Amino acid sequence: MDDASYTTIPSLPFDTISSIRYSPTDPNQLLVSSWDTTVRFYQVGERGVKESEAKAKFDHRAPVLACCFSDATHGYSGGLDTSVRELDLSTERMTNLGTHNDSISSMSFSQANNLLITGSWDRTIRFWDPRAQTHQQSSHETPERVYTLDLVNHTLVVAMASRLFHIYDIRKMDIPAQQRESSLKYMTRSLACMPDGQGYATASVEGRIAVEYFDPSPAAQEKRYAFKCHRQTINDVDHVWPVNALAFHPTYNTFASAGSDGTVSIWDHKVKKRLRQYPKFPNPVSAIAFNCDGTKIAVGASYTWDEGEEGLKHVKTPWMGVRRLGDEVKPKGWAGN
Amino acid sequence: MAKKKNKQIIRPWCWYCEREFEDEKVLMQHQKAKHFKCGMCPRRLNTAGGLAVHIQQVHKLEPENLPRIENALPGRDGYEVEIFGMVGIPAPDVADYKRRKEIELGLSAGSISQPPPKRAKIENRPLSESELKAQLEAHKALMGNSQGAESSAAASTSDASIGAVYGAAPQAYATPPPPMSGGPPPPGFFGAPPPGFPSGGPPPFPPPFMAGFPPGPPPPGFPMPPGFLPGGPAPPFPPAGALPQFPPPPFIPGASATPPIPPLPPRGLPPPQFIPAQQQPTPTSTPQPPVAPPPVGPLAPSAGGPLPSAGGPTSSESQGLTTEVRPADPRQGASQLIHPPRQLTLPNPALAQVNPEFKKPTILKWLDPNFSPEEQRSIHPTYFNFVAISSSEESKGKSLKRARAEDFL
Repeated sequence: MDDASYTTIPSLPFDTISSIRYSPTDPNQLLVSSWDTTVRFYQVGERGVKESEAKAKFDHRAPVLACCFSDATHGYSGGLDTSVRELDLSTERMTNLGTHNDSISSMSFSQANNLLITGSWDRTIRFWDPRAQTHQQSSHETPERVYTLDLVNHTLVVAMASRLFHIYDIRKMDIPAQQRESSLKYMTRSLACMPDGQGYATASVEGRIAVEYFDPSPAAQEKRYAFKCHRQTINDVDHVWPVNALAFHPTYNTFASAGSDGTVSIWDHKVKKRLRQYPKFPNPVSAIAFNCDGTKIAVGASYTWDEGEEGLKHVKTPWMGVRRLGDEVKPKGWAGN
Repeated sequence: MAKKKNKQIIRPWCWYCEREFEDEKVLMQHQKAKHFKCGMCPRRLNTAGGLAVHIQQVHKLEPENLPRIENALPGRDGYEVEIFGMVGIPAPDVADYKRRKEIELGLSAGSISQPPPKRAKIENRPLSESELKAQLEAHKALMGNSQGAESSAAASTSDASIGAVYGAAPQAYATPPPPMSGGPPPPGFFGAPPPGFPSGGPPPFPPPFMAGFPPGPPPPGFPMPPGFLPGGPAPPFPPAGALPQFPPPPFIPGASATPPIPPLPPRGLPPPQFIPAQQQPTPTSTPQPPVAPPPVGPLAPSAGGPLPSAGGPTSSESQGLTTEVRPADPRQGASQLIHPPRQLTLPNPALAQVNPEFKKPTILKWLDPNFSPEEQRSIHPTYFNFVAISSSEESKGKSLKRARAEDFL
């Protein structure tokens, strides 16, 4: 994949890219966690103008499934070795904050509360404060393994195995504010909260995305819907791929979805329209992220274990690139808020 | 001189699988046997390039159809890099490896040096047969006492004869190593169904790095009657002893966490669905029209609809089963991670999911309704290895240090 529309990045992970997170302040810095047991920190350049640069690399003892930023110079990571680590991006030093009892699948940082929230297959959500004496602030049990979580303002959405969802107010974690079952009939694969705090989008392994709203009133709930995507009909047989990642645009409230079919699509959920589908990648797309000012999208394409070890025989090397966005992410007739 | 003693020396290691060796001779033998072995005939080549040329010329495969290099770490299974022992390893990878070793051994940066050239000189003399044998033994022991079938002309004749049968799974594959364990690649190229991949997933043998490891219970590839207890030693998971009142034996035949309690009736759910670890996603190449979910017993909950209990699991249930998924004590994390679960277990079988049927012919790429691709991947030997390597090397590092401390006495 050497498309001119993508800025490529040097020293990529050599195994599946598990997550990509952009810096909250710098639109060109990103963290990438990978199954090759590393978290890498990149300064993305501009094609033909400035070279991209690998700034730091953090070696872990096992594959890393999740990472996130807290501020411009600090990040966190977690994965199969169950440890929550703080990464100092300037000194390349790691600090162990504590452990879960099982692999850490997902994490998010609350800027407002200066809290790191991690979710794990050990069926807990834990809160961490790296500045406190005891790093682990609290642990909250969930009925199932946590697959992915996302945060908007004070609302935390936790997507679990067995198609369960919990919605929490992070200031009141003793009971979930809402408990839901997914409106999708297959395993939950990804989740992203709307930046306007109204709701979230979630997707399943069966090429389908649901748009949901927090407000439990019937009027708001009536607006929720689901649609098919990341599918292809070949010889009258529907091929249906998992939707591996979702990401909302920080300003336009549109969102991008990434599928194992190797495509990335941009959707306007208000008018229920697809705005753009980017050319297909030779690999499944395993992670995507918008940068903080919404001018770029980072795409990580790498094998996502959909075919188990069989698939290892014909995997292509992981690829990652950053694409400059145009008007395709803007809803039609966007007047600006 | 004293300063020199503090310098750690990095041992020869294999770029393809990051294993360490006593010396470069053994490393080369290892590479010939493990990575540069032709999958279609018994021939072993000296380098990846040699193997590529051999496959192209002898077996008439197009360059783009070359099988990946066997037993290699992901991303290192290509032919682009010409490796011969320690020669040819890309410099960034050397630096990377050194840095990781330093971290693992708890040394400060830059304290590991390359083996001095002097050392290599000494080893240039031909090894005597007995030395070679001893090294081979050591190598086999390292490889987890597997049949010892790997490299070596010294392999026993019976092994050799097995390997000589063309088309039969070469004996090298009988050893644990990660991918490709099912059989040699060639049949796949001729359109034959892949051998050696029955319904079961990869038999999760302990990876070769875990030598001297207590032999686990039988691999889940061979399910046993539910009540049957793995005859082996006590289950390797500590939490198994503290097992709660809700043992899920029917769901995990052969799994090691099963305590010797007679199985409860399976709550109206048929066992087959709860061995999803053994489900292979249907390969794309063989379209089997309507992808039927695993056989559903008469009592199974209707597909699609939420399970009766899905909304509110009783708390006793969820708590009772919590402990059993994985090793629980974080403090022992490192040592316990060497004993990863060979099979995934549902923490709360009451919440088990069943994929609904499709109305139209559909190929769903991820068929397991209960475990995500990441969970299945995490128990695959390729990724245990990372955990196993780092912990075993750490312990090795400790013992190394101790040995040196004894030197002072």
